[in-house]
Amino acid sequence: MKSKKITPATILIYIFFLIMTVIYLAPLLWVFSVSFKTNGEIFTDPFALPQSIFIDNYTFAWTAGKLGIAMVNSLFVCVITLLLSMFLGSTVSFAIGRMKWKISGLVMVYFMMGMMIPVHCVLIPLFTRFAKIGLSNNLWGLILPYLTFSLPTTIFIMTGFFKSLPNELVESACIDGCSIYQIFGRICLPLSKTGLFVTGLMTFVANWNELLLAMVFISDDNRKTLPVSLSKFVGPYNTNYSQMFAAIVIAIIPTILVYSVFSNQIVDGLTAGAVKG
Amino acid sequence: MDKLLKDKKAIAVFVLPAFILFTLILFIPICQSIYYSFCDYDALTKPTFVGLKNYKNLLIDDTMKIAVKNSLFFLIYSCVTQLIMGLILAGLLTNIEKGRNFFKNVIYLPCVLSSAALGLLWMFIFSPKLGINQILAKYGIEGPLWLMDIKNYIPLPMWVIAFVALWQYVGQSMMLYMAQISGINKSLYEASYIDGCSKVKSFRYITLPLIKPMVATAMSLNAIGSLKFFDLIFNMTEGGPNKKTMVLATHLYEQGFKYFKYGYASAIGTILLILCLLMTFLINNVFKTENYEM
Repeated sequence: MKSKKITPATILIYIFFLIMTVIYLAPLLWVFSVSFKTNGEIFTDPFALPQSIFIDNYTFAWTAGKLGIAMVNSLFVCVITLLLSMFLGSTVSFAIGRMKWKISGLVMVYFMMGMMIPVHCVLIPLFTRFAKIGLSNNLWGLILPYLTFSLPTTIFIMTGFFKSLPNELVESACIDGCSIYQIFGRICLPLSKTGLFVTGLMTFVANWNELLLAMVFISDDNRKTLPVSLSKFVGPYNTNYSQMFAAIVIAIIPTILVYSVFSNQIVDGLTAGAVKG
Repeated sequence: MDKLLKDKKAIAVFVLPAFILFTLILFIPICQSIYYSFCDYDALTKPTFVGLKNYKNLLIDDTMKIAVKNSLFFLIYSCVTQLIMGLILAGLLTNIEKGRNFFKNVIYLPCVLSSAALGLLWMFIFSPKLGINQILAKYGIEGPLWLMDIKNYIPLPMWVIAFVALWQYVGQSMMLYMAQISGINKSLYEASYIDGCSKVKSFRYITLPLIKPMVATAMSLNAIGSLKFFDLIFNMTEGGPNKKTMVLATHLYEQGFKYFKYGYASAIGTILLILCLLMTFLINNVFKTENYEM
């Protein structure tokens, strides 16, 4: 089917997708443009471009809205979770995907269970337990559950990657006298870089956006993560719309940037994670 | 070589840290949560076993009725619309060459954005004086109170939120279907065109049957996602007005962390868990098919 003929059907498809693009980008562009306006401008001239770039909204949201601190907290939580989940996830995946033991299948099922279980079901026991051992209002109290809920996807994708590596590699490494840890760290892990990268991105994005756990576990303003601080700053008691819009932009810009650079990898990861599910 | 790969100590080193973490943070808490659901338990007291009391209270709880109704509405709405829209988008996108990646990335974009932020954004778009109503006002139409009109059985805000959820997550279904469609052998289509099939017909008789396993995957993701649904509702309406837009997750949050009725909230959580497992099971059975040769 290499016909270059433009049929009416193709034109209709393009028109359809152009409309979809407008539906998808218009809200984002609108919030972006309003965030540079003064509060008065929103009502007098809602859809025009801002008359001048009004940066104050951003500085206010960043400092008084505590979004700056929240951004740092979010980064801390997400980066640590990302590193730990890559490490713990890949060791488990290597043991399940490459090593030979009887109950490996069962252990896999145990980890995969986490995919079906909503985080809501563990909120209350974790909340009461963490309060007792000093993990409430503590960023580590977020990292532990985030890590736990990131592991199933990581293990699922990484096991697939380890299984697909050629047997000869492991065999020759054995003959050369590598220990099992060397086989993992020096041979298999470097060869599964793509998988690691993809799962890392997915973990990062998912945890960056997480609201419920963060809202329940953290009440100290200086430890809140971005979605929580945002939800608190933007609400019915605030009447300065342009500041709230600036806050929304601050919250979504990092993921938009990450996405525009890595969109292909993120998409690959998503499909890799589900195709065989 | 086998000796190396059967090294029990190494396996333990590799698996145990994650296994222990998983058990402590996920498995034990779930068991505890199920136990708490049979207990009188709040912020001040220790859990005491009371049997089915919490579940009996759930039956006469009006907010719970609304929450169940809305959650089921969401479940059905998102399964159906995501299936239809996802298939349409995927089917059409695979038919164009130029700009396919661009359109794909644009439609998938909201999936990676914070639904807390997007919820707030859409709350403004549907607020009484901004966004859509500003556009309508230009043409002299007085727009409805999108997020406050609670007259109907399924109130208007629920439809609005369901639309936003579809807008945000349809990219995921589309992506999954596209991945599956691109795995179908092209010669099948060529053969069908030679036999005189139209594109629509080949979609119906080749694509659809071959992507059935993916429908199961995508739909169970949708189903679990819609049952867990929290961020958008919390930031768009907070369950209001008058609790008419409560879903299971917001009800659980309110009972557990506003009124600190831990036992009662655990009962809601247990029901949520059962629903999730049930839906995964059902969907995978309905769409279970023999694997075609692709």
